[in-house]
Amino acid sequence: MMRRLSVLIHLIRDGLDTTTKGSKRYHLWMAFLTLVMLIGMYCYAIQLKQGLSATGMTDRVSWGLYISNFTFLVGVAAAAVMLVMPTYVLKDLDFKQAVLMGEGIAVAALIMCLAFVIADMGGPAVLWHMIPGIGVFNFPNSMLTWDVLVLNGYLFLNISIPFYILFTRYQGKEPKASVYVPGALLSVFWAVGIHLVTAFLYQGLQSRPFWNNALLGPRFLASAFAAGPALIVLVLAAIRSHTPFKISDKTIGKIAMVVTVAAQINLIMLGSELFKEFYAPTQHSESAYYLFFGLGDKAALRPWIWTSISLNVIATATLSFHRLRRNFKVLYAACSVLFFAIWIEKGFGLIVPGFIPGPYGKIAEYTPTAIEIGVTLGIWALGAFIFIILSKTAIKIETGELRFTGKS
Amino acid sequence: MRDKKSNWFSLNLKSSTKRKASPCGCGRTAGSCKGSESPEHKDGFKQVFDVKMGRRKAFKKLTASLLSGAGLVDTSCSLTTGQSAKEKAQIGWEELFKGNYKLMTDAEKRATVQRLTRAYELRTGKTIHMSSKNAEKNVLFGYAFNISKCRGYMNCVAACVKENNQDRKSHMQYIRIHEMEDGKGFKFNEADDNYYHEVPAAGHFYMGTQCFHCDNPPCTKVCPVQATWQEEDGLVVIDYDWCIGCRYCMAACPYDGRRFNWNKPEVPEEEVNKNQHYLGNRLRKKGVMEKCTFCIQRSRAGRNPACVDACPTGARVFGNLLDPDSSIRYVLENKKVFRLKEDLGTEPKFWYYVD
Amino acid sequence: MMHSASRNPCCIIFLLFLFCACKQADTKREKYPTIIDKIQAKSAHYDGVSISSNPYISEETIAVIEKGHHFLIPARKNRVALRTCAICHSKPLPEMRGEGLKRAHWNIDLHHADSKTMRCTTCHDPGNPAQLRSLTGNPIDFNKSYRLCSQCHAEQFEDWAGGAHGKSAGGWAPPRVSMTCVNCHNPHAPRFGSRWPTWYNTRKAVERK
Repeated sequence: MMRRLSVLIHLIRDGLDTTTKGSKRYHLWMAFLTLVMLIGMYCYAIQLKQGLSATGMTDRVSWGLYISNFTFLVGVAAAAVMLVMPTYVLKDLDFKQAVLMGEGIAVAALIMCLAFVIADMGGPAVLWHMIPGIGVFNFPNSMLTWDVLVLNGYLFLNISIPFYILFTRYQGKEPKASVYVPGALLSVFWAVGIHLVTAFLYQGLQSRPFWNNALLGPRFLASAFAAGPALIVLVLAAIRSHTPFKISDKTIGKIAMVVTVAAQINLIMLGSELFKEFYAPTQHSESAYYLFFGLGDKAALRPWIWTSISLNVIATATLSFHRLRRNFKVLYAACSVLFFAIWIEKGFGLIVPGFIPGPYGKIAEYTPTAIEIGVTLGIWALGAFIFIILSKTAIKIETGELRFTGKS
Repeated sequence: MRDKKSNWFSLNLKSSTKRKASPCGCGRTAGSCKGSESPEHKDGFKQVFDVKMGRRKAFKKLTASLLSGAGLVDTSCSLTTGQSAKEKAQIGWEELFKGNYKLMTDAEKRATVQRLTRAYELRTGKTIHMSSKNAEKNVLFGYAFNISKCRGYMNCVAACVKENNQDRKSHMQYIRIHEMEDGKGFKFNEADDNYYHEVPAAGHFYMGTQCFHCDNPPCTKVCPVQATWQEEDGLVVIDYDWCIGCRYCMAACPYDGRRFNWNKPEVPEEEVNKNQHYLGNRLRKKGVMEKCTFCIQRSRAGRNPACVDACPTGARVFGNLLDPDSSIRYVLENKKVFRLKEDLGTEPKFWYYVD
Repeated sequence: MMHSASRNPCCIIFLLFLFCACKQADTKREKYPTIIDKIQAKSAHYDGVSISSNPYISEETIAVIEKGHHFLIPARKNRVALRTCAICHSKPLPEMRGEGLKRAHWNIDLHHADSKTMRCTTCHDPGNPAQLRSLTGNPIDFNKSYRLCSQCHAEQFEDWAGGAHGKSAGGWAPPRVSMTCVNCHNPHAPRFGSRWPTWYNTRKAVERK
């Protein structure tokens, strides 16, 4: 026990040592992220003082940029599973190097999710009301409590599995499959769970016909499994070029395959949704009309969604051709385009139209304020910061540079 | 039949009631009703909440327990501050860590109400009366709205804002009156809910919406902390101090019945309605939900909600659905009633009818 | 592939959880499928409430029974300035005509139906101004003036007696106090006029733009 503790202390010390050392560019980049985070915190302080009226949200559109980003990031977090499954369970070694990065992304994304939810709360000081035991936890009636459970559980899983692996590697040992395989297996279902539950959060509201459709959950999964691995491809590309960590072309090729299939399924579902909304439009299609064509002179989302859809189609089409996909330059471009397209579609392209038109058909548009954008950017910077710290340490351990020596 | 004790807390409403019942049938206000309106605050306490002695005693107890308990820290740290500042800190401390009102015992409910009353007194030097009255047995509140009678005067909105201490800064209003064009049916999306011209406008009719107090409320189901729930008498209420402000209930409400305090609500001190209920019109803070409670501070005491009393055309009917002789039951059984979005299965307790 | 079998039980457990969630949320509804069922079931043994609206009845009332409904209405007789009637109306109206008296009631303009249908004496008894009279000449007390109205407005009367028309003057709790026709309608000009709304949300008007 004492030995483990001292190993842990060394690990933390070495980790800190690793993350604080680096090239000038690295330091500049981290300083920039810190600056953005500080700006975000300043904006949040203003929001705390003034109340949520500092944001663009109103009684008509009561969820905005924060919840949109939350929804999107849950998807990104869930996507880490696409790499976990084959690596740990099916013993596909190609993915093994990638999976730690995937889980790192999941941890960063989940922390961002929680930050976005807290930023959106009217009373962050009384969040303890949600803690079972001291507070009242409306389980199982409220889907939000399910979401809290699965998100925190998933966060725990995604911290503990990589930690176990890195911790044993740090000591120069081989991690035991009997320990991490069940955990990995559990996280596979858990990932599907977090995304479905998040979809059910919206799907279960009979008051919002735009969300209240059975395809919402599956579409969440499909788009998440496109956007998440797309981000992982980009991250792996960056790691390949900036660190000695070796990632084979085959690994990236396989992840790209995952991205392609998910993006294709996503497009099929989009087609199905569009058909349902526009072939025989009912009053419940108003939101979709608002999103795609605008209602009257209110059409704030129209340029966004058409950008998203065209980028989505272009990226998916590009990825579908083997020759194009195997060209890494094209692949990276397609992945970033796809990621951005899904961020629009799964973010405010999904949340905001749910509120427009309102319950009585009234149309009030939503535009985020500078404060809101500042907080959002700050949280994204926080995510990037956390990921870089985690991955830098993990890479050092994986490459064998960082080993427990017993000396301080 | 005259009961002086009831006069003090009905300042805004009694005046409108009296106008309706004014002696001359010509509808003009020739009343000298003011004579009986001398505000006797103490009497009001006695009448609705006759625990004047009990209150004092409880305070003593409360103070004692606080001194020996958690409050000790504050007290010992602030020896230089005044007595009232200490008491304020104690109350703040106790309020911060109190539980969900729904799960409180009656004694705990009284204690928190006393703390809030005392805090207001310390803050402003004025006395309020706050009730924690529970649901009455054999009561299920229901509401009916006569579309052919509403003429869009919006007296209900004004009365509601005053009665319920709604935020004046953001112009919060629970009730919306939708002005609809004749011959188009119920086109809410084309209706205007913020008109300002002489009413009734030719070729238009009016329809009011507010919280419908659904019997199967989607809003209470989704609340992660059970800060909103349905009471035994059918009222859907919110514990403002328990609400975390996630606005999930707002997204779940199909009737636009809920409001959020985007900023710190402001009510001028002289306009504060001092007859309050914990679950009703007590002053709110920023970042919490609120909504129509059918004026719980009035309805639990046997009175009609402010909107019903303010309506000059009698378009609003309120009553006990369980009482077979009540007006609301007559409306349900004899008029052609309907509700909004019945297909959602929310079972609102708010019916519309026409003559 | 070996592990794919173990996926199924997890799925089932997840679905079971969801099922439980739905079940729990629905227990209340199973008892009463609709609100009408709930009302019927719970009011079957209704035995009154402990609160009353007596404290809120600020005027003198009289008890009436109309169409089988028992309720109170505000008394009116004492509020109408009857005594002053008697000062001038010392003898029946036809006899007073042409006596060189000052014109009286000049301020009352009758806007109730048209002049072919209604005139002063349709409701007022020229022989005895202290009371009203029905179309058939029967006397009607000022306290029960609604009976006069009900002669033509039968449907409104029916709704008023039940509580669907008119306004409550007390609280919702028993006893029921209903305003009478003349508490809201001026009998000489019963139609409500048009006017400006009491409320205008200036902030919403700004937000709309």
